[in-house]
Amino acid sequence: MLAATSLRILAPMGEALLLGLTTGPVCLASCGPVVVPWMLARPQQMRTQIRDLLCFLAARLAGYMLFAFGAWWMGTEITSLFAPRAWTIGGIQILLALSLLFFSVGWPRLHCHAKKTNAQLVQIDERKKHSGAISLGFLTGINFCPPFLVASVRAAQLEQLPAALLFFLCFFVGTVVWFAPYLFLGFIKRSQACVQVARIAAILLACWYGIVGASTLIVRIFHG
Amino acid sequence: MAEEKLTPHTATPFRTVGRSALLTLPMLLWSLLIFTPVLRQHDTAHSLGTLLVILFTNFLFFKMMRTGKTYRWRRYFFVAVGLLFPVGFISSLLALRGSMSIPIERMVSGDTPFCFMVTPMLLIPAALTRTLIFPGAILPTESNPHSIAAMIGLWFAMTLVMGKAWCSYGCFFGGIEEGFASLCKRPHIRKIDSRFRLVPWAVLLLVVLLSAALFEPFYCSWLCPFKAVTEFSAVHSVETAIQTGIFILLFAALVVILPLLTKKRTQCAFFCPFGAFQSLFNKINLFEIRVDRERCVECSACLTACPTMAITPESLREGKTELNCMKCGACVDVCRKGAAVWHLKGTRIGMKPERVRLFFLFGAWALSTMFGGYILSNAIATLIHFLPLR
Repeated sequence: MLAATSLRILAPMGEALLLGLTTGPVCLASCGPVVVPWMLARPQQMRTQIRDLLCFLAARLAGYMLFAFGAWWMGTEITSLFAPRAWTIGGIQILLALSLLFFSVGWPRLHCHAKKTNAQLVQIDERKKHSGAISLGFLTGINFCPPFLVASVRAAQLEQLPAALLFFLCFFVGTVVWFAPYLFLGFIKRSQACVQVARIAAILLACWYGIVGASTLIVRIFHG
Repeated sequence: MAEEKLTPHTATPFRTVGRSALLTLPMLLWSLLIFTPVLRQHDTAHSLGTLLVILFTNFLFFKMMRTGKTYRWRRYFFVAVGLLFPVGFISSLLALRGSMSIPIERMVSGDTPFCFMVTPMLLIPAALTRTLIFPGAILPTESNPHSIAAMIGLWFAMTLVMGKAWCSYGCFFGGIEEGFASLCKRPHIRKIDSRFRLVPWAVLLLVVLLSAALFEPFYCSWLCPFKAVTEFSAVHSVETAIQTGIFILLFAALVVILPLLTKKRTQCAFFCPFGAFQSLFNKINLFEIRVDRERCVECSACLTACPTMAITPESLREGKTELNCMKCGACVDVCRKGAAVWHLKGTRIGMKPERVRLFFLFGAWALSTMFGGYILSNAIATLIHFLPLR
């Protein structure tokens, strides 16, 4: 009896862990466009990089948990979770664009930054503490990447909320392993050119997220 | 003004006709060797086109030898390839598909011609998933000879010989903007922030990461200005309409308007991610341009002449060019003191620069005439087909 209960609890956890491990490269690639420019635009200190990445991952976990709750709450009517998908995706992408601009580039003080030295840039960034990591991590956490959708469908089939949350937790742990390569970004030498390249990439990325998000919302508004 | 500076400094030719002809002879034999199969196989239009190409490329090489100048004669060839590439390519597309847009079924069947621009975007997805994220065939087929393996092989061979010089001898896109840049006599915008030179690296970072995330060649889907004159996805949704709009805007701004205003190759210098990727190969290439500090009088003529801002005041002080130097020879031709010189890595600066130039030109010209020559002959044949001569 006990063995059967344990198996009933443990089997989905193992499944989630394996799902996270096997789909990890997709997560790595999905979060790359946000994580890489953001981290490269920051100071070159291994400890800071680790701390920021942990903050990012914690916020991502929070996003996962929120989604796990949503998936479980919707339960078997999982399709209704996807009905407002266009609104959600469009909204998330626009928020991501604004966050990228704000935390990677320092908008709206963009013009002031252009005249500042590297040291001053770092100081400004430090004042924002972990808010950048938290907001970017959360927004990538609730993003609709393919592995995430697979996990949400499976979580929705679970009977209890703790089981759904645990499922997403295990899935998260499986994917986190794949984020280790990002720590090596700390070894890349931060010349002024490197920081500027990362910031320009963040601006371009924000523009792209903005365009895609806005077009998604416009299509939704006009075509229903 | 820049045009005047690029003309020979003195009226005296650099070499005699006989010596110049003798140096052109290997190139003539090479072009006959590579184009003879075309002369034999194709119709009259192709034969005539090929014959014109042989004469044109060898005349330009002869002039390079005779005048000792590179930039001007290379530009004629490069601009011709750039401007005529769309003629041949679009007509082939129209003949094969009846449209410039790629139907989705063509993509699914892997029938899309491969463009070398995609190369850096393939790397991460290929490493992570062993998948090539391009809807093309790996090996050439009858309907699509521009396969992934053929194009990458050709590009890699040329890159080993030329390094970043691919961008001024081999790339059939760069010639279009170089043509527009050469149209105006004086630049209307002279002061360009040097930080714009970092944009191609940012675009490269962006396209590599987003290609891995979206599992598609992001640059081709969203950012390639040359889609406006080659091929693009058929417009069937809001997204594809936006993409097409971006292609046209980028082409108009970076390839037409800004080169006209700045006399610079703005797309290559300030946007092209492939150019940034190609710059890395300058590190392993033997040929480079250096500035002899003992001769340099800091007149800044080379800074003005460089079409991609590859010489900055800082690099000039060190006697170097930046990593994005595409070895077009503009700075060498314009330098009246002979301070900007062709240089073979590992040798003393200023040691037999003309000999280094010859070594470089023989390799670069041989490969670029082979690559660009087919483009030219194909385009000329297409034009002949449309003329009421036949």
